[in-house]
This record gives sequence, C-alpha cells and structure tokens, in this order.
Amino acid sequence: MLKVFNGMLVVGLVISAFVLYSLEHSMRKHERHIASLKREISTEKETIKLLNAEWSYLIRPERLERLAAQHLGLRQSRPYQLVRREELTGMVSMRPTVEPSSGSGDLIGNILKEMQ
Amino acid sequence: MGFVNPVDPNDPAPSLPGRNRLRLVMVGFALCFALIAGRAAQLSMLAPDVHRTARSDTYRSPRPDIVDRNGVLLATDIQIASLWANPRKIIDVEEAIELLTAVAPELDAKVLHKKLTKDRAFVWLKREVSPAQQRAIHNQGVPGVGFRNETVRVYPMGRLAAHTLGYVDVDSHGLSGMEKFLDDQGALYTASLSDPAQRASLPAQLSIDVRVQHALASEIQKAVDHFRAKAGAGVVLNAKTAEVLAMVSLPDFNPNKPKHAQEQIRMNRVTSGVYELGSVIKAVTFAMALDAGVTNLKGKYDARHPLVIGRARINDFHAQKRILTVPEVFLYSSNIGTARMALDVGLEGHQAFLRKVGLFERMITEIPEAAAPLLPKRWSKLATVTAAFGHGFAVQPLQGAAVTASLLNGGRLIRPTFLKREHDTVGGFAKQVIKPQTSEQMRYLFRLNAQKGTARKAAGEALGYRVGGKTGTAEKVVNGRYSKNHRLTSFIGGFPMEDPKYVVLVMLDEPKAVKGTFGYATSGWNAVPTAGKVISRIAPLLGVQPEFDEEELAKLAKLRAKDQRN
Repeated sequence: MLKVFNGMLVVGLVISAFVLYSLEHSMRKHERHIASLKREISTEKETIKLLNAEWSYLIRPERLERLAAQHLGLRQSRPYQLVRREELTGMVSMRPTVEPSSGSGDLIGNILKEMQ
Repeated sequence: MGFVNPVDPNDPAPSLPGRNRLRLVMVGFALCFALIAGRAAQLSMLAPDVHRTARSDTYRSPRPDIVDRNGVLLATDIQIASLWANPRKIIDVEEAIELLTAVAPELDAKVLHKKLTKDRAFVWLKREVSPAQQRAIHNQGVPGVGFRNETVRVYPMGRLAAHTLGYVDVDSHGLSGMEKFLDDQGALYTASLSDPAQRASLPAQLSIDVRVQHALASEIQKAVDHFRAKAGAGVVLNAKTAEVLAMVSLPDFNPNKPKHAQEQIRMNRVTSGVYELGSVIKAVTFAMALDAGVTNLKGKYDARHPLVIGRARINDFHAQKRILTVPEVFLYSSNIGTARMALDVGLEGHQAFLRKVGLFERMITEIPEAAAPLLPKRWSKLATVTAAFGHGFAVQPLQGAAVTASLLNGGRLIRPTFLKREHDTVGGFAKQVIKPQTSEQMRYLFRLNAQKGTARKAAGEALGYRVGGKTGTAEKVVNGRYSKNHRLTSFIGGFPMEDPKYVVLVMLDEPKAVKGTFGYATSGWNAVPTAGKVISRIAPLLGVQPEFDEEELAKLAKLRAKDQRN
C-alpha cells in the first residue's frame, strides 16, 4: 500500500516536473516575444517621433511659402479675391445660364454646346 | 514498544508505533508544501503590482513635446546615436579611419588619428549621427567602435517662435522661454500632462499659431532690412482671451544651436525689454481722461503754445498751433493736449489709473523673462505731464499690448498667456478697468486715426479689415539725453474695429529714412505700414471677413488692375 502510494507520488512528481518545465519553457518563449515586441514598439514610437519632427520641419511656413511661389506661382491673396458665400450665389446667377428644360435629350451635352 | 493501537484493530499490518510518527511527518510535510505553494501562488499572482510600484519610484517624466494651437509640432525629444570608440580595442587604426571617413566624410582623418591612437578606453568620435550613417557604420563592422543613444531636444521649425519656446541645455534643462516654464513655475502643469503608466506625456499646447508667427516674423524682418533698423519686434494678441498668437523679436536665434541666444542684441524685446511706447501710453491717457469724465469727444485743448512746467517746455511734433478737439489731439498725437488731459485728471488720479491697469508692476506671464516697468522716480507735476505721452515711462511691449487690448475690448484687462486658453474660462481672469462706453470711444478714436490720422498707412495696406491704431515715435535716450536721430517707432492697433478680435503691436528700433519716406523716419512711415502688411496677411488666416467702404473699393479696383497688368 505504501509502496503503491510512493510510486504514485514519484510518477506525479515526474509528471509535474515535466509540466512545470514545459510551462517555464513556453513562458520564457513568451517573455522573449514580449520583450522583442516591446523593443519594436519603442523603436516604432521613436521612429514616429522622428517622422513627426521631420514632417514639422518640412511644413515650415517659410519653406511652404517659398515652394508655393516657386512651383505653383502662388502669391499672397488679395482682399478682392475673398468672396463671401452670400455674394457667391449672386455671382453665379450673373453667368449665362442654360435652361435645362429648353433642350431635349442630353442635358450636359447642351450645356457644353452652349459654352462653345 | 509493545504498545498496540486500540483504534485500528482490523489493520492487517502490524500496528507499529512508527506508523503514527510517519503520519505526523507526512502531515507536517504536506502543511509545509502547502504553505510554500500558497506563498508561491501569492507571489506570482500579485507580483506585477509590487513590481510596478517599485519601478515608478525611479521613473522620470519625459520632457513634454510642445505644439502650437493647431497641433503643429514645435519642440520634441528624439533619440540620436553618437559614435564612440575604444582605442585599445582597435586593431588597425588606419583601416578604421579609412572606413569611417568613407561613410562620414565630415570626420577629419587627422583628428581621428589623434583620437584613436590615445591610450584610453573611451573617446567620442561624433555626436549626432544620422540613422542612415549609423546603419552604414554598423555594417562595416569596425571593431572597437559603437553607438550610444542620447536624447536630444529638437525644434523642427528652427527660428520660428524661438523666443517663446526658449531652449534647453545639454542635460535637457529649460534655460529660457516656455522650456524654462515647463521646468520651474509650470512644473505642476508639466506633471499634469505626463502619464507615468504610458511612460509618455501629452504635448504642451501653446497659444502661438505658426502661420501668424511666420507672417509677423517675415514682415518685421522685411521692415528691419528695408528701414535698416537695429532691431524689430511685434506681438499679435487675441483681444478677447489675451492669448499670444505670435511674438517676434529680431534678431532672434536658433534654439537648436543656442550658442548665440545669450547675446544682448538677441534678447526678447517683447517681454524682457522696456521701451517708451508713446503709442500705448498716449492711448492709456486718453482712456483715463474719457473714463474719468474730465473730457469727452467734443472737448477742446489749447495747443497754441508749448506747455511750460517749471523749466521744461513741452512741444508737439506735428505742431498745429491752434485749439484742438479731443479727436484731433489723438490724430495729431499732440503732446501738449495729452499732457493737459493728464493734468485735468490730476496727479493722484493719473497714478491710480496707471496702477489699476497694472502699469506700475511687473507683468507675470509664463515666459520667465519679464521686465518691470521703468517709472519716474518721483511723481511730480512734470512726471505726470511727460508720463502722459510716454516720456520717462517704459514698459514691456507685451504689457502695453495687453493694456491696449483692454481699452479696445470693452474694458476687460486680461493677463496675457502663451498657453492655449479656452474662451469661456477667461471671465475669471478679467478685470474691468474702464467702462464699456469709454472703450467704445477709444475704438472710435483708433479707427479715426487709421482713416485720417497718423495710422493711415496701416489701413491702406490692410484694405477692408477695419484697422484702428495709434502710432508712437519716441526719441531714444543716448548718453543720458533724448536724441533726435535715434528713434523707437511703434504702432499699436486692432482689427476689426467694430468688435476688435486681435491686437497687433509693431516696434522698430532706430529705423532710418529711406527712399520713398521723404526723409521721415517716424512711426507713420515704417512701423505703421509694416503693421498694415501684417494685418493683411493674418486677417484671412484668422477668419476675419473683409468689408469695404467706397474709398476702399476704389483702391481695390486700382490694385486689381495693377495685379492684372503684371
């Protein structure tokens, strides 16, 4: 009886040792994985910061102004170029309008013809 | 020992006394193991908490990023690798030098040779190596060299808003501007931004708008160059919340290389210098007289003869030699009229009002560099007379702008801030200094001055934005005397004048008369048009709608025709 019990204990010990070892092993693996992920995250964060700084460096107003003048021919806006929304509707109605009901068939084609 | 267990008579095995002892031992061991297992379980379950608290003790909160009011990055910390070497471990010095200079041509071979042949275990070869270079050097596999990461504070926008941001030393301690604020007085604010669990912190959001900052800086730079001024400065203030949208002081410095930042010429004129800002002080005198009720817009002042106080004679620069109405006194910037106004209020009243608007004390904002006003030592009758038009009374320009904002915004004096402020939290800081009706009269005078008076050129440059302003030309004290040839010109104004949203201050130090100014170097010829140009650039950015009167429409048509010809 005692022998059987001892034998069971030994078997139990071996099994639990194995389970423990494999648990430990897989845990180490996970830990390594976590550490590498953390490293990656911090590298990514660092890269994001660097890119943010670079972006901010690239959108310096002084640089944008220079580039806009050089490549797009843009200048400082003049007060007469600013139009209010209310005025905009007035300006639109002054243009030659095309009556959609006047022609039949292709409406857009009519408008294009009118414009030519 | 011959003792038979009576409890267990059926047991086939012989009842030995050792059996009970064995059980006792087994129970004892079982208890022990249970205890150990329990403790182990407890440790493994609760360990993370114990761990975390232990770590947060040594945790140092990172320096927060600084962004502008729209979230554009102005200052941040980045990791930069620095190259070092252990000369004792380098086998072939010549080969190492050859390899390193191939990747980093800026390294000097001679200096490198000297460093690498020293008998030391550690030398820096190059600070701040770019990531690409780092990779290349790493791939060469030179023995005995390595990299160490260092945190470096960078200001991607360079000079833009340098005086507001300030700079840090090599150990990341703020030395001036907002950087210093974040370390010292603002430490509580900095702490509120940081999140120890994330090991990160929210950015500190300034009230500065980089677009407005750039517009102001580039216009003042142009003016300094064009009028060959020694220096220039400017502020754009939100009149309702007293947030500083832009602050410029030229010449400035690059916070990334703050070697020259300490030079006297590069100081922040807007807060750490005091100037006799005639424009601001005269407006204050007007507001005082109108608020006290000693005069009104129909009042008249005799400016036929110089005002004689003891042995001093007060003259007008634009002498009219007649009786002027109050608006005329403002328009011609009459010293005599303004002085008489202050005398009408009286010495006591004058001082009381200046104290009320805070001009007697140092204004405290987040920026640590703040100068106290320079006041007359003894408040005599002559002192009141000269202080009425700004002689012998110097303040920091930012303080002047804040006071002017209060004169225009309905009389609410608000301490300026460099941090973004919510509109509805302003009420708590505001202090009513003049009646709303007086503020309305001040707005009328400012607008009139921009339409007909000395600030005409500001309105001419910023068509449609209803500019109002006051000019000032102060003679600088050179060798203890006021000099006719060394002037400090200033403009203070706001727009749109029916409900001022923004206050603009422009100041030029010793502008010269140039071609096109007909020999004049007074404010109206330099500071005023500069302010007008600034307003015409920032008003569309700030969403102020232009509205034109007849005269302006005519000018606009001319401008349009001219633009179309080009």
